[in-house]
Amino acid sequence: MKSLNIVLSGVGGQGIISLANVIANAVLESGGNVIVAETHGLSQRGGSVIVHVRIGDVEAPLIPPGNGDLMLSLDPIEAARYSVYLKKGSMIFVDNNITPPPLPGIKIPSLDEIVESLEKEGFDIIVVPAVDEAKKAGNPLGANIFLLGASYQTSILKEYIKEEAIIDAIRKNLKKPEKNIEVFKRGKKWAEERLTS
Amino acid sequence: MAHREVLAEPGSRVVMLGNVAFARGALEYGVSFASAYPGTPSTEITEALSYASRILGGPYVEWSANEKVALEAAIGAALTGIPALASMKHVGVNVAADPLFSSAYMGVEGALVIVSADDPGMWSSQNEQDNRWYGIHAYIPVVEPAGPQEAKTAIIEAFKLSEKWKHPVILRTTTRVSHTRVIVEAGEIDIAKIKRKGTFVKNPEKYTLVPVHARRLREELVEKWEKISKDLSQNQVLNHAEGNPDSETLVVAIGLGYRYAKEILATHGLLDNVRLLKLSAPVPLPKSLLLNEAEGREKIIFIEEGDPVIETLSKALFYDHDIRAKIYGKGTGHLKKTGELELHRVEKLLAKALGLEKTYYNQSVIKPEIKLPPRPPVLCPGCPYRAVFYALRRAVGKARIRPIYNGDIGCYSLGVNPPFQMQDTIVEMGGSIGLANGMAHAQDDKVPIAIIGDSTFFHAGLPGLANAVYNRSPMLVVVLDNRTTAMTGHQPHPGIGVTARGVEGTELSIVDAAKGLGVEYVKVIDAFNIAEGEKEFYEAIEYVKKERKPALIVAKGACILLALAAGRRVGVYPVAYRVNDDKCTACGLCYKAFNCPAIYSKDDGKAYINELLCTGCGECAQICPFDAFEPVDEVPPEWLRLMREAKPS
Repeated sequence: MKSLNIVLSGVGGQGIISLANVIANAVLESGGNVIVAETHGLSQRGGSVIVHVRIGDVEAPLIPPGNGDLMLSLDPIEAARYSVYLKKGSMIFVDNNITPPPLPGIKIPSLDEIVESLEKEGFDIIVVPAVDEAKKAGNPLGANIFLLGASYQTSILKEYIKEEAIIDAIRKNLKKPEKNIEVFKRGKKWAEERLTS
Repeated sequence: MAHREVLAEPGSRVVMLGNVAFARGALEYGVSFASAYPGTPSTEITEALSYASRILGGPYVEWSANEKVALEAAIGAALTGIPALASMKHVGVNVAADPLFSSAYMGVEGALVIVSADDPGMWSSQNEQDNRWYGIHAYIPVVEPAGPQEAKTAIIEAFKLSEKWKHPVILRTTTRVSHTRVIVEAGEIDIAKIKRKGTFVKNPEKYTLVPVHARRLREELVEKWEKISKDLSQNQVLNHAEGNPDSETLVVAIGLGYRYAKEILATHGLLDNVRLLKLSAPVPLPKSLLLNEAEGREKIIFIEEGDPVIETLSKALFYDHDIRAKIYGKGTGHLKKTGELELHRVEKLLAKALGLEKTYYNQSVIKPEIKLPPRPPVLCPGCPYRAVFYALRRAVGKARIRPIYNGDIGCYSLGVNPPFQMQDTIVEMGGSIGLANGMAHAQDDKVPIAIIGDSTFFHAGLPGLANAVYNRSPMLVVVLDNRTTAMTGHQPHPGIGVTARGVEGTELSIVDAAKGLGVEYVKVIDAFNIAEGEKEFYEAIEYVKKERKPALIVAKGACILLALAAGRRVGVYPVAYRVNDDKCTACGLCYKAFNCPAIYSKDDGKAYINELLCTGCGECAQICPFDAFEPVDEVPPEWLRLMREAKPS
């Protein structure tokens, strides 16, 4: 029984479901088994989004709380909200931009406060400038793929998914595939430089 | 959405959403007619079939006006001898319940599968409803796939069952089956089959349910029900037992429950120790199979999504046959009845029943101390409904009425949240006008305001409106016409003039419909024009107060997401707005009272627009008392036209 449970989180419209679809297709290309549980409908209108990605010897769709191995998140608030799904010490790759919930008169925590709070619980937080770097690469909607690139280099993802399979999955499943492949590579490079520095 | 993978090459393995796998299975079986009304979590089945139909030239696919019509149409098609599919969400079956019950008496000629997509956990629904009860109540067999992994096979089996017994079959799916992606192997599609047409052969003794016929058919139905139960006991594809035949424990795993049971038993190394009965066709209860498997066991555990339906039926059966095993399930309080199944909850049940000491899925949960703001879904930046709510609230203030807002099902349900809080009741599709009828007559001097969307108006608003005219119910009906069924992902409806097959349909006018029903005061306003809205709502409220009759206003403006998509297709883009800092007084009206998600407050309280989120609707420029909002460039007239007229492709 070997499995990898990935929690994807963010705000409706950020490309979380597309990211899940790329990962799922990359697992298929790599010859593995995958289950992706999504949220649709009412919950997608700018609301909080969680997608459960389960790889390996798995049957059921949902990751139980405290069982996730890894999180990729496009919003720090949502990363903190869904950290209950993670095992102690899990890696969390999170974008540095907070999308404030548009509710009148609410207090928004800062990125530092969120990171500190998660680190205190023993999570390994890697803050990734995914949105900013994707914009720089001329692909503002490619933040999800930059995040995948950054996490691929340094996490257990490598044990389950081949890099060529990700490239192939991007090519087959995303619009502007070449631009997204470029963003994936930049994400990988960003992580390499961060690791060696 | 297209869901192109529904037409994957035969023999290929592809990642597919459960709902797309249902569509693929229906095509592989040879479905020739498919009707539906959109509703989460069922919508993608028909979206995928709609795509397939456009490419392959078949089957016939339609978005029907509502679920009742969708089912009636599918019954009609099935009576001509072809296989038909009607898809809807769980509460849609309530709307279709009348023909559903009759269909069991009549039976079908071709095949008829009714998809009921239940939503335990209420991710996008007003209730948690287990529609397997409908199967029992209406004498219609229920097929319930063991997870998305079995979606394609299960719908093919459901069609075969229907064809074999000439009887409708309910396929019950749930959110985690419909909206979960898994790897599916594509089979062959016979294009001639999906394009075929039927012929109706008259048989009034069967198809006209007058009492003299219905009494005979009722006898036949009850007899057929027992035969189908025997058949399901033999159906090895859907129902079978595995594991240790001599175990003292039987785990009865129904539908998706099988996946939870199997994963947990495998993790604990118990797959060969206990007996696992997988039921993917649980209604009518496969009695002989269940009795066979239950005989002599000490413990019987039931794992099912929703109510303890099969547990309850089984316990009655066990009582009749003197089986006295210890039962564990939702009915005995060992598993929570509300919400969705989850691995840790099912593991807890199994641990208790089997006396397991170690648990794998019940891990200690870490909760960071930081206080997080909630993030409920909101009206999108540029949503025409925000402008309408704003204008309506101002009109209501001016007319000095204490309003009651009878809300309805759609994106405008989000008006329940601050800052608007303009949905006092939300019951079901069409309930806005219906409840307003009662509110209008049960209270003195009130003007209930019914708020209903365009698709919902055609779905179930028309009878309520007829009633309001007939009984002279003083109410204001506001029809929010955003040119699509938006919440479920932009399907067309009768007011659009585009069909599911992409061919032209007839565009119905909401104004003509209202006038035709006898509403004397009918007006159309530009949903994006706040001043016009305020004036027209005010005058309509005054009319209702004076005349004590219904008035109706259509607020027309396209869903901004639809306008953006239409713009991308023709290369027309909106121009974002920005804040002129010299003019902004930090009053906060735009980000508090109007609450556009693209507008934030800066540290000094002045407004700031996130240009990435701004859709260039220009609503903020209309509400700002200080003219602080301005477009960053000249706004293309073509964009302003698309905002008003875009429609689904």
